[in-house]
This record gives sequence, structure tokens and C-alpha cells, in this order.
Amino acid sequence: MQWWRRIFGWRVAEEAMEREIGFHIAEVTEAYIAQGMAPEQARRRAQLEFGGREQVKQEIREVHVSAWLDAVVFNFRAAFRFLRKSPSFSIIVILTLALGIGANSAVFSAIDAVVLRPLPYPHGDELIALYQHDSKGRSANRLVAPARLEDWDRMNSTMQAFSGYYLDDNTETSGSMAEKVTEAMVAPRFFEVMGVGPFLGRAFTSQEMHFGGPRAVIISYRYWRNRFHGDRAAVGARLRIEDKDYLIVGVMPASFQFPSRDVDLWEPSPLDAPFERTAMARNFTWFNVIARRKPGVTPHQIAADLVTVQARLGKQYPHPDAELNVEVEPLKQVIVGSTSSSLWLLYGSVSLLLLIACSNIAALLLARTTDREHEVSVRFSLGASRDAIVVQLLTEVFGLALLGSLAGLAVADGAVYGLHLLAKTLPRANEIALDWRIVVYTLAAALATTVLCGLFPAMRGTRRSLAHSLALTSRSQVSTQNPIQWLLVGVQVTLAVTLLVGAGLLLRSMQELGRVYPGFDPKHVLTFQVSGSWQETTDMKNVVERIDRTLDGLRTLPGVEDTATSATLPGVSSKYQIEFEIDGHVDPSERILADSHYVSAGYFATMRIPLLLGQVCREASNTSDVVVNQGFANRYFGGASPVGHLLGGALGSDFAGTSMIRGVVGDARENGIETEPVPTVYSCFSAPNPFPNYLVRTLGNPMAMAKTVRRRIHELEPSRSVYAMSPLQQHLDDASAETRLRTILLTLFALVAVSLACIGLYGTLSYVARLRRREFGVRLALGASRGHVVAGFLGRGLRVGAIGCAAGVLLGLGLSRFLSGMLYGITSLDPMTYAGVVGFVMSVASLASLLPAVRAAQIEPVRVLRDE
Amino acid sequence: MTPLEKTDLLQGTLDLLILKVVALGPVHGYGISQRIRQISQEVLQVQQGSLYPALHRLEKRGWLQADWGESENGRQAKFYRLSARGRRQLAAEEQSWTRLSKAVALILQTAE
Repeated sequence: MQWWRRIFGWRVAEEAMEREIGFHIAEVTEAYIAQGMAPEQARRRAQLEFGGREQVKQEIREVHVSAWLDAVVFNFRAAFRFLRKSPSFSIIVILTLALGIGANSAVFSAIDAVVLRPLPYPHGDELIALYQHDSKGRSANRLVAPARLEDWDRMNSTMQAFSGYYLDDNTETSGSMAEKVTEAMVAPRFFEVMGVGPFLGRAFTSQEMHFGGPRAVIISYRYWRNRFHGDRAAVGARLRIEDKDYLIVGVMPASFQFPSRDVDLWEPSPLDAPFERTAMARNFTWFNVIARRKPGVTPHQIAADLVTVQARLGKQYPHPDAELNVEVEPLKQVIVGSTSSSLWLLYGSVSLLLLIACSNIAALLLARTTDREHEVSVRFSLGASRDAIVVQLLTEVFGLALLGSLAGLAVADGAVYGLHLLAKTLPRANEIALDWRIVVYTLAAALATTVLCGLFPAMRGTRRSLAHSLALTSRSQVSTQNPIQWLLVGVQVTLAVTLLVGAGLLLRSMQELGRVYPGFDPKHVLTFQVSGSWQETTDMKNVVERIDRTLDGLRTLPGVEDTATSATLPGVSSKYQIEFEIDGHVDPSERILADSHYVSAGYFATMRIPLLLGQVCREASNTSDVVVNQGFANRYFGGASPVGHLLGGALGSDFAGTSMIRGVVGDARENGIETEPVPTVYSCFSAPNPFPNYLVRTLGNPMAMAKTVRRRIHELEPSRSVYAMSPLQQHLDDASAETRLRTILLTLFALVAVSLACIGLYGTLSYVARLRRREFGVRLALGASRGHVVAGFLGRGLRVGAIGCAAGVLLGLGLSRFLSGMLYGITSLDPMTYAGVVGFVMSVASLASLLPAVRAAQIEPVRVLRDE
Repeated sequence: MTPLEKTDLLQGTLDLLILKVVALGPVHGYGISQRIRQISQEVLQVQQGSLYPALHRLEKRGWLQADWGESENGRQAKFYRLSARGRRQLAAEEQSWTRLSKAVALILQTAE
């Protein structure tokens, strides 16, 4: 092959040119020497005579370049002619590629934005999240005490700076209506660590970052647009939060949405309050810690550095610091989480889809190459080199791929829009967009497609023409036993089966999940929150009274059956495991670990979690009552009644005081529908935080009660706002949105793949039928039965289908291992799924083979023989 | 006779001369320029600045083929030879040249 040498051999050509010119000058020099000239003079004369050496070389180069350009123009014009000549073929190929490449580019744009790109902050890869972690596993609390945050910042040697944040909801009352605002309370250096400052106004001064300093907030871009309509005078205006005035000192840019896209305000959370200087304060933790590493420092060095720092703190404060480990995680990983595996799964399947499309097109091209044998032979006989013809054929495919990828970009654009609608909960979803990177990727995909689809048919088409002379090539001599065609169809079936296995496993998991009863009844439950603030917690009695009053007020509404509050929503919350002791007794061989949930007394009735033993907490009682679930009773009491026993937090765990177990309730899947119930302790406390989730069981459609509930709360608490109102079922659906999205998309891809494979099978059989018309005609004329012809065709199609299925099942067995973390209730070797997939594909394949088979058998022998 | 300047050569004439010289047998660029000079009795002197681009152009068009070989002096040189297509091209060009020169001669004689 010369064409690749032509591309990669530019330097070789330059050297040859140099050698050729050098030879000429040497010969002339020698001639002059023979005439009696001195060697030095002869050389100079020869060089002078030759003229501008560089100029000559440049002219030679131009000869090559213009010839190359001519060839490119020629090839593209030929390609264009070819596309116009067979528009239906071109449109089919372009549409197939538009879908294949478009879907691929769309998923790639999601991967690029969510997984590949650094976070949208300067040197985003330097950002680290840090947690403290109880080394004995007694507490699931990973938040960090302010004092410890300050110590880490002071003592480390691998980070530029540490900061921290936590979210707080508040009510802003400077306007006509009380409005709920989401605040990010930020430790000093927060904006320095993130590397982003306000685009309007200024950052916090050091006075504002000190305890007792002037009150200031920075507002988010969204809040600035909504509340101040983008007025620059917002900087300098005042907000009223918790009856205190705050000066707005800055506005953050729209792209800054950390730690959450819901943040309205950033407010300083000073670390130098007198209380935080006490040793006691080391037990009170609320910061999510972030830090920016020094450039060039490895994760390993960071971990080692912080182990040293924490060991020194452990010597200084044996309790609690000696029992704490530091956990380090790149901030991006924290934000992106498990989404990346879903996205890679989709990317893998969409790439398989593109491969199927490619082999489909390759089969189409191969069929065309046979038709174009004559044209190729003519070109050969006119003296075109094989390379030139291969390049021409490839250019045709590239033209198709280029048009396909342009249409694909439009498809991708639409798909990205759809992704924004479907995947609102996807982290970093707002960053997904089509930009030049995606365009470059799409063009690269077009190029790869060209080679994948086109190279093989082009090589084959030109090889055959080399073997057959022009005279020999006639229609009747075309081979019908083309094994490559069948190989391509087999590959399509194989890949389609593989994708279908993946989709089948995910669908079966969803089906299994749908059968699960979560242990509580999520239907007809309205959830919402009422604004409150951590600052209220200085008077807990007041908070409890307020929340109980609201609960009572709601319960008496007509249409409401029951009401409760809970710190976390059932079926949505994350695991929060701590260590307990029973009756003050600690057994080191069997530690008592259980999830801790804070709920009001009405929770079990509202959620329809059955009481199995004893009683639920009394309304009047406070934290001193707990209820455990059946799992807890079975595990730690061996089936005996736990009622009446005393439960306390183990030393070091953050469960305060000692409580009496009042009753036992049924197991409920508190941590997510797909998570088995674990031993759980419910502490009865209606005000676990100032803004708990309200759960209201309604008689009818929960959203129909929304207005009534809002009105009642406005009567009770005119200065507070109601927010996040939605049915509990909605929360459960949102929690499984990612699972649902990947299942739907993978199923969609698999169905498209199966359709493509069937089209490939159908197309190839039809093509073979067309080529063998004459043979069938003769056979039928000689008395062969039509059933025989049909059976022959069907057998052929089914054989390819069966081999494809077998290979696809094997590939599926290998690849489905990557799905095992996403499955529920079945393993990745689920026989039902595999059997279903094979049955489905085989029945579709027989349909796709039957049509051309029947058509082939309906040939009228007389007409065929007359045609010949 | 004094040599003619390069510009005096008709467009396309150089290609014809090269094809003709190469038709005599494989020859390198230097050899081609030497032969043109000798055969034309020093009237035609091909400038290297036009010879080599012309050789590469003819090779690109497929009329010439080139191989590396050893020259009479034992140096590595690029030898050009005529391809089958080049041979056809030469025949066509020779024919049209003969017709052209006859026509020019006729006009010159008649106008005397």
C-alpha cells in the first residue's frame, strides 16, 4: 500500500529529493574536474549553475502537493456524484450513521462534562474533600469539628489551605413575604480554596470572618437575578435573616454552584467563637471540609501527611482525637459519585451500537462493491493504481460519514437537551453541552467509522477486480457464497445479543424491585419542610413546641389522617450507623451496631409501619423513649422481648443519654427501596433539627391537599415559609432516577441494535436472493419444491442467528460482570434473562429470514429464464 | 550556435523532450540534461529549476517510473524510465508536434 506511505513518508520523500539533487551536482562537479578545474572551484561552479537549490526543491514539492490536492478534489467530486447517483442508499447510510454517531457523541458529551473534565474551578483537580472517621466504627458521622479544621490547616504541609461548609435553611424577612433561603455557612478561606471570587462586589473581609464581626453575605447569581432582577445596586443592600441585618457584599458568578445549586447565600461561619476554643468543642462536628492541595503533591503524600498531623493531635487530645482517622477523597469523586459507572455503561453500549451500525453499512457497501465491479475494472484498465481506487472508495464512505456525523451533531444536540430534561438529578448536569471538543470527537468518530465501514469492502472490492479481468466479469459470475457478508451479519447479531443481555438484566432487576414491599406505605403521603434555622436550637424547648404545634394544627385538617416529622425521608435517607450498649453492658465480642433515626411519635402510624410489641413512644415524652425494629430485636435479643431494656450510646458514639425501649415495629427499608432493612433504633423526637421533613398522610391525592396545608401553616407560622412540597412517592422516584434512566436508555439502545441486526440479516438474505434468482428459477423449473427453497433460506438465516446468539451470550456472560453492582434480586448470570434474550432474538431473526425466503420462492421460473 | 533561453521553449515542449530522451533507456536527471544538450548540439540547455519539477510531475502522472540505482560512477542515482502510459503519451505528443511544426514551416515558407 502506497497511500499510507504517502502520508507518513513525507520525510522519506524529502530525503530522496535531496539525494537526487546532490547526485546531479556531484556529477557536474566531476565533469568540471575532468576538464581540469580545481575540485573546490568545480564544486562551487556546479552549485552556482544549478541555481537556487531551495527554490527547485520548493517547486518539486508543489508538484506533489498539487497532485495530491487534485486527487482529493477528484475523489470528493466522484464521491458526491456517487452519493447523488444512489440517493436512497446514501440516505439510509447517512441516517444510520447520524443515529449511531449522534447517540455516541451525546453520551460522550455527558462523560466529558461529568467524568473527564476537572471541576469548573481554577485547577479543579487540586480540590480535596476530607472527613474525620471514627476508627472503631462506632459512629457514621464524618463531619469535622471547627477546632480540628483549624488544626489541620495550621499543622499540615501538603495543602495550600483548608476550609469547610455546611448548609442551613433560613427565612429572609426583609420583603413583603417571608422567604426561605438556602445558606452555605462557610469557614474562613472558603473562596480562596475554591479559587473563585464574586464577579460583583468583594469577598469577605477578615473582620467579617471573625466571631462578633460585621454581618455580611455573598449572594448567588440565581438569587441576584430572582430577587434583585440583576440590579448592580444589590451589593450594599441589606437582607433580614433571623431578625438580624446582613449586608450584601458580593454576587457570585452563575457558574459557581458549590456546595449545591440551590444555594442562595454564603455566610461566614467564624471558627474563633470562645466555645470552639474549648476541648469539649472537639466533639461537636458540623463541617464538610474542603482543601486545595499544593501543586505536584500526590494523594499518597497527602494521606501520609494527615496521618502524622492527626497522630500529633491524638497525643494532645487523647479523647477524641486519638480515635479519629482522616479520610481523603478528590472533591470531584465526591460530587460525581457512582454516576460515572452508569455513564461508562451507557457509553460502552452506545459504542457497541455504533459498531453494529458500522458492520451493517460495511455489509451494504460490500454488496455495492460487487455491483460496482465493472466500474472498478474499467478504472484499473485505464491505469489507475489500486491505492487510488481504494482511496476513492474510502472517500465516498468518508463523504457519507461526514454528512452522517453532521446530522449526528444535530441528533446529539437534541439528545443533550433530552438528557437535561431526563437527568436533572445527575451531578454536573448543567455542565453538559456541545462544544468544540464534542465536534472534534464527532469528526474523529466519522473518520473511525470510515475506516471501520469502508476499508474492508474497498480492499475486497479492488482485490477481486485484480483477479478477474474485465472480460471475465459478468453478472453470472458473481460469487454468492460470500462468507464475509455472513460474518458481518453474525457480528451484528452477537453485539445486539450482548446489549440485550445487559438491558434484560437491568429490566429484570427493576421488575424484582417493583415486587418489594418496603415495609412502609409511601402512597398518599405529602412531604414538605418549614423553614427554620440552626440558630433556634439555643432554645430547643421552643423548637419542639413549635413543631408539635404545627403537627397538631395539621392533624385536625379535614382530609388528613396522620402527621409526623422525621429527620430523613423514609426510603431515601442514607445510612447512619452508630454503636449502642444495652443496659449499660458492653460485650466486646458482639458490638451493637444499628441505624439511628429521629422521628416523631406519629411516624409509625403515618407510614403504616406496624407495631409488633409494646407501644410506640408516648406523645408527651422526649428523647428518653426509643422504638426498635424487628431486625434489631432478633439480632440483639435473640427473639426475646427487648421492651423495657435501656439503650445508650456506646462511648464515643454520638447518641446522647440513655433511653428505654418502648416497643418493637416492623422492618422498613428506610435507607432505600433496594436496600435490605438493617437493625434500626428510632428515637422519638419531633424536632431532630429545626427544619425536619413533615409527613402528612392524606385520604386522597396528596398534592390536592397542598394548598390547604400551606394555608394552615401560614395561619400557624406567618413568618415561616413552606418549601420542597411533593408526594413521598416523588422522592422515591427521584432516588431511583439514575437507575431508571440507565435502564431505559440501555433498553432503547438494545432494541435499536436488534432492529439493525435484523435489517442486516434481512438485507443480506434479500441480496443473496437477488443474485441467485436465476439459479432458483432453474431449480424450480427442474421441479424443486418451493418449500425446499424457503427451508434453505430460513436455515441459513437461523444458522447465522444461532451462531450470533451463542457468541453474544458468551460475550454477555463476560461483560455483565460490570453490571453486578447495579443489579437487584438477580445475579449477572440470571438464566431467565439469557433464555429470554435468545428466544426473542431467534424469533425476530426467523421473521427477518422468512420474508426474503418466501419472496425467493415465489419466483416465476419462466420469467427468470426469459430475462437471462 | 548560441543556446536558446529557457523561456524560448514552448510550453509542453520540455515534457516531450524528456519523454523522448527517457524512451531511449533508463536515465537519471543529470543524464537527461546532458543528452538534451548533446543531441541538440548545445542549442537546448535545460535549466535544472525546470527539469526536476517536470520529472516529478511526469512521474506523478504515471508517464515516468523511477527506481534508485547505481550510476556509471558508482553513485546512487534516481533512474527514470518510460511506463506503458508514458509510451502512449510520447507517441501522441510526437504526432502533434510534427503536425504543429509542419504547419509552422508551411506558413513560414508561404509568407516568403
